[in-house]
Amino acid sequence: MSQKKEYAVIVIGAGHAGCEAALAAARLGAETLLITMNISTVALMPCNPSIGGPGKGHLVREIGALGGEMPRCIDETCVQMKWLNTSKGPAVRSRRAQADKYLYRQRMLQTLFATPNLTLRQGHVTGLLVESGRVKGVRLETGLVFGCEKLILTSGTYLNSRIILGRATWPGGPQNQSPAVGLSDSLTAAGVKLRRLQTATPPRILKSSVDLNLMTELPGDVDAGGFLWENRLRRYEKQISCYLTFTDERSVEAVRRNLSESPLVLENITDDGPKHCPSIDRKIIKFPDMVKHQVFVEPEGWESQELYLQGLTTGMPPAAQQDIVGSVAGLENAVILRYGYAIEYDALAPGQIRKTMESRVIEGLYTAGQLNGTSGYEEAAGQGLIAGINAVLALRKQAPYWPSRTRSYLGVLVDDLSTWEKPEPYRITPGHAEFRLTLRDDSAERRLAADGFRIGLVDQKRFSTIFEWSARIEGEITRLSALSLLPSGEARERLARLATGDLKKPASGAELLQRPGVTYNNVMDLLQQPENSRLTAVDEVYALETEIKYRGYADREAEKIVQTSFLEKVRLPLETSDHRLHALSDQARQILGSSRFDDLSQMVRKHCLTRSEIAILLSVLSEDGDRQERHEETR
Amino acid sequence: MSKPKIDTIAAVSTPAGRSAISLIRVSGPDTFKILKKLFITGGKKAFPLPYSVYFGSVIEPDTGLVADKCLVTTFPAPRSYTGEDLAEVSTHGNPLVVSRVLQLLLKHGARAAEAGEFTRRAFLNGKMDLLEVEAVSQLLSANTSSQARLALNQLDGLPSQFVARIRDRIMHHLVQLEASLNFPEDAIEAIDEHLLAREIKKILAELEIFARNARSGALVADGLKIALLGRPNSGKSSLMNYMLGRDRAIVTEIAGTTRDTLEETLMVGEYPVKIIDTAGMRQPGDRIEAIGIERTSKAADEAFALIGVFDGSQPVKAEDEIVLNRLRQSGKPVIAVLNKSDLPQQINPEIFAGLRQLSVSALKGQGLPELQKAISQIIAESGLSGYEEMILLGAQQSVALDKALTALERADRGIGNIYQDMLAIDLEEAVRELGRVNGETVDVNTLDLIFERFCIGK
Ligand SMILES: Cc1cc2nc3c(=O)[nH]c(=O)nc-3n(C[C@H](O)[C@H](O)[C@H](O)COP(=O)(O)OP(=O)(O)OC[C@H]3O[C@@H](n4cnc5c(N)ncnc54)[C@H](O)[C@@H]3O)c2cc1C
Ligand SMILES: Nc1nc2c(ncn2[C@@H]2O[C@H](COP(=O)(O)OP(=O)(O)OP(=O)(O)O)[C@@H](O)[C@H]2O)c(=O)[nH]1
Ligand SMILES: [Mg+2]
Repeated sequence: MSQKKEYAVIVIGAGHAGCEAALAAARLGAETLLITMNISTVALMPCNPSIGGPGKGHLVREIGALGGEMPRCIDETCVQMKWLNTSKGPAVRSRRAQADKYLYRQRMLQTLFATPNLTLRQGHVTGLLVESGRVKGVRLETGLVFGCEKLILTSGTYLNSRIILGRATWPGGPQNQSPAVGLSDSLTAAGVKLRRLQTATPPRILKSSVDLNLMTELPGDVDAGGFLWENRLRRYEKQISCYLTFTDERSVEAVRRNLSESPLVLENITDDGPKHCPSIDRKIIKFPDMVKHQVFVEPEGWESQELYLQGLTTGMPPAAQQDIVGSVAGLENAVILRYGYAIEYDALAPGQIRKTMESRVIEGLYTAGQLNGTSGYEEAAGQGLIAGINAVLALRKQAPYWPSRTRSYLGVLVDDLSTWEKPEPYRITPGHAEFRLTLRDDSAERRLAADGFRIGLVDQKRFSTIFEWSARIEGEITRLSALSLLPSGEARERLARLATGDLKKPASGAELLQRPGVTYNNVMDLLQQPENSRLTAVDEVYALETEIKYRGYADREAEKIVQTSFLEKVRLPLETSDHRLHALSDQARQILGSSRFDDLSQMVRKHCLTRSEIAILLSVLSEDGDRQERHEETR
Repeated sequence: MSKPKIDTIAAVSTPAGRSAISLIRVSGPDTFKILKKLFITGGKKAFPLPYSVYFGSVIEPDTGLVADKCLVTTFPAPRSYTGEDLAEVSTHGNPLVVSRVLQLLLKHGARAAEAGEFTRRAFLNGKMDLLEVEAVSQLLSANTSSQARLALNQLDGLPSQFVARIRDRIMHHLVQLEASLNFPEDAIEAIDEHLLAREIKKILAELEIFARNARSGALVADGLKIALLGRPNSGKSSLMNYMLGRDRAIVTEIAGTTRDTLEETLMVGEYPVKIIDTAGMRQPGDRIEAIGIERTSKAADEAFALIGVFDGSQPVKAEDEIVLNRLRQSGKPVIAVLNKSDLPQQINPEIFAGLRQLSVSALKGQGLPELQKAISQIIAESGLSGYEEMILLGAQQSVALDKALTALERADRGIGNIYQDMLAIDLEEAVRELGRVNGETVDVNTLDLIFERFCIGK
């Protein structure tokens, strides 16, 4: 902790984005100041008490592989850990943790305090110092000024935020905090364009007022393991369950009779909010025939007496909320401790961030998290990590880290975000990742640990350990491809006992494993390999089985992956005066020469080029590439 | 994106050359303005009423001289071929008259249309999809009336509607599948794999018929290729000339006369058949002949059917045996023709056992009806679709259709054995490629559809 006035990096906001950004920057050696409005609410989870799920869980795994903090923190502080989608395939399989919100905050705060190069301060930033398009520092409400070379802004849902509860509305941040005022004006003055977004949260109720007997218990999985690679085999013996109940006709009726007080009907709030978390009023309006909506009743911590009502999000007034909650089986006598509310806040208008999270408008400024138009803790943390890394790389005048969408969900996230044009906030799901067979939960370290090591967030020791682990898996895959089973009478008998089809010609161990229902150990038995020569750790066996069983499908992705990563490497604006490019339309040439997109793959994905234009470009570019290579050879 | 300004275009729509009537099309916002200047109607009817035919004169406005008497038909936007205001001017076929009328149109505000521009506008205005565009370009280049009929089939948009419907059916299941993969805790009904498997099988069957119709369409659009194979001097070129009814190929008594393949289209029944005359098969005498014989082989490989031509007036030679083997091993429909039936027959007919065989005299002109009947029979037996069902696809569309089929076949084999996340990838590929068959390169955005259909909220 220091008392300086100048820092290499300043991070505004200690939410999920800000914590990752500040930790990454400080761990990479940059003198970092983290300013947040309230030290008591560092790493606050203002909405659901959970981290993970398909897409989101993938991000958390990747954050860990790169050396970020979120997975470590949630692994230590969760009250439940669960596998999702186990039967639907490895690509969509992922963990989800229920957090102890209080412990999570405490632990994150301790980590911030314990990190060298990192100074934490409470303060309300009201202005940016910008000189000729470059960020120079920040001004606080108190009049204090701090200078910096790189600024990372992660203001979450706080900028000019407004709480909406039926007809009542007042300036305010999440959980009765203050809104951040002043900063929006300062951003606008510097040329940044803002828009309004909204989100909402359900009421919290008193645990002892609920009849859990009327609900379905949803326990966690003891052997789900943690998000962090080191915790992958951790057993969670002690867990708290969630519970599931449903709305019925009474609830629909309750919503309907209160609908006139819904912000949706009052239209006193922007309509642009997360599509995947509609409020209960929106659900009833949009799906009028649906009566049975799920309500998940979730703990907020080991000791917490509050329960979170996933599914009953609303910004309706208190009386309406009581009416609706009381209509649900098991919640008839529920006592509401905190009412749900909607919040409206300033976020960046589309088109102002690069894949590196650097601003396209102000030099030296990076933005991450909800401010960038995402929703969710995991999305925020992922962006924070990328912003922190890139701020330091830029300080060191090193090439930026552009995670590729072919290699990670983080890559998908930043790539999509920098081109996102839809009104609603962005949430990651496997549906966004076209290469999801490759970007599996189990392959995060094999895809990203080397990046983390190169960047400096993964140390030598950790990298070597991960490397040995993955070498063991790769080695066994190679061995399995080399071993083969001959169609002898005896071998065929052994196969018949597995009921998995006959053998006509020799088959490799890998081919046998690709047969439906055949496991690694089946194959090793068939090949009569001694027990002590086999992999035994469940995670290693799982990674191997998945890799091999997926091979055929993953190979089909491979060609497209090569194409996409080639296009990603062509950074825009493109500087080439090749006369053949005149064959392109004026518009295409104009975009190529501008910084509207970061690279050619974005331009192609956004349909800004026709097929023949792509062909022309590629032939010009590959010739350029050849020429360069030849040039380098002759040197 | 600024929209390019749309101007008015004009062009002669009937193929170049003399015909009784020529059609000039005018399309674009100024169509009727230009015609009002140039066209004087004969009757009292106001010009232009929608979808009306007018008889009148095209005049030179400066001099009042009549360029031609003609018919003008009006098609106001959007219910016209291009989706724009459009008029068809039918003039007399005399090229001089046609060119004078066209010049007048161009002088008074229309621009000469580029090749395919009418069709392109129709496509851009959403009047056609790629399948239909393909049909129009085939229609314009069709040189037999039955090929034109085939192209017309497509213009009513039925094949593309079919493809769109199939794609929607797959999409329906894909969206549900993706919803359950992406949002496992939302109460989304699990996919019934048995039901889906049955549906995929049904779709595959329907799509395979479509693919067969497309293959038939491709065959007919090009003309059904039938190669004439035989040793030198057996009379292949003579037979071709006889079938065509004119002296197309050079005929001499010198063995090795034909050195390169030669194609001509003729009608057999209602099908266009492309007869390919080839160089006689034997040990080549020189390099040119060697290349010719290589081409013979290639033509035989690419042909839809083969006709072996044998000289009936001579005993079987070793080269005839080679030809016979080739016929028997080709796996294609085959006819053995014993030529020179006007001369005493020496060939042993037993060597043709099992083959469809008949005798002709190309020289004297005997046996053509029987040969035509035999050709009609092999076409009928080949499983070619009827004209009503045939479909024309461009090269890229065929590739897309094949890919869609492959993806669905993989889904069909995989379902029940593979994870649903892989199944989703097969279905998505099928949807995307079927879109390409119809010329749409839309993103397969299942996420948006998920939010429309399912109440996602966990
Ligand atoms: C009511 C509500 C409902 C939500 N519902 C959902 C949901 O349904 N689904 C979902 O995925 N996500 C939801 N979220 C969003 C989730 O909380 C965020 O995605 C996540 O917390 C964003 O992380 P962040 O780091 O970007 O910002 P935050 O966690 O909001 O952190 C921002 C931090 O910046 C600080 N700060 C802001 N401005 C200044 C300033 N000028 N000076 C100093 N410090 C400043 C704040 O004090 C805070 O610590 C909801 C949030 C709220 C408030
Ligand atoms: N008598 C008789 N002679 C024929 C008949 N058909 C072809 N000939 C003669 O056979 C000779 C060869 O005829 P072509 O048609 O040139 O034979 P080809 O098979 O094309 O020969 P190449 O081109 O050299 O391979 C010519 O002299 C023809 O006049 C027939 O039906 N009867
Ligand atoms: Mg000849």
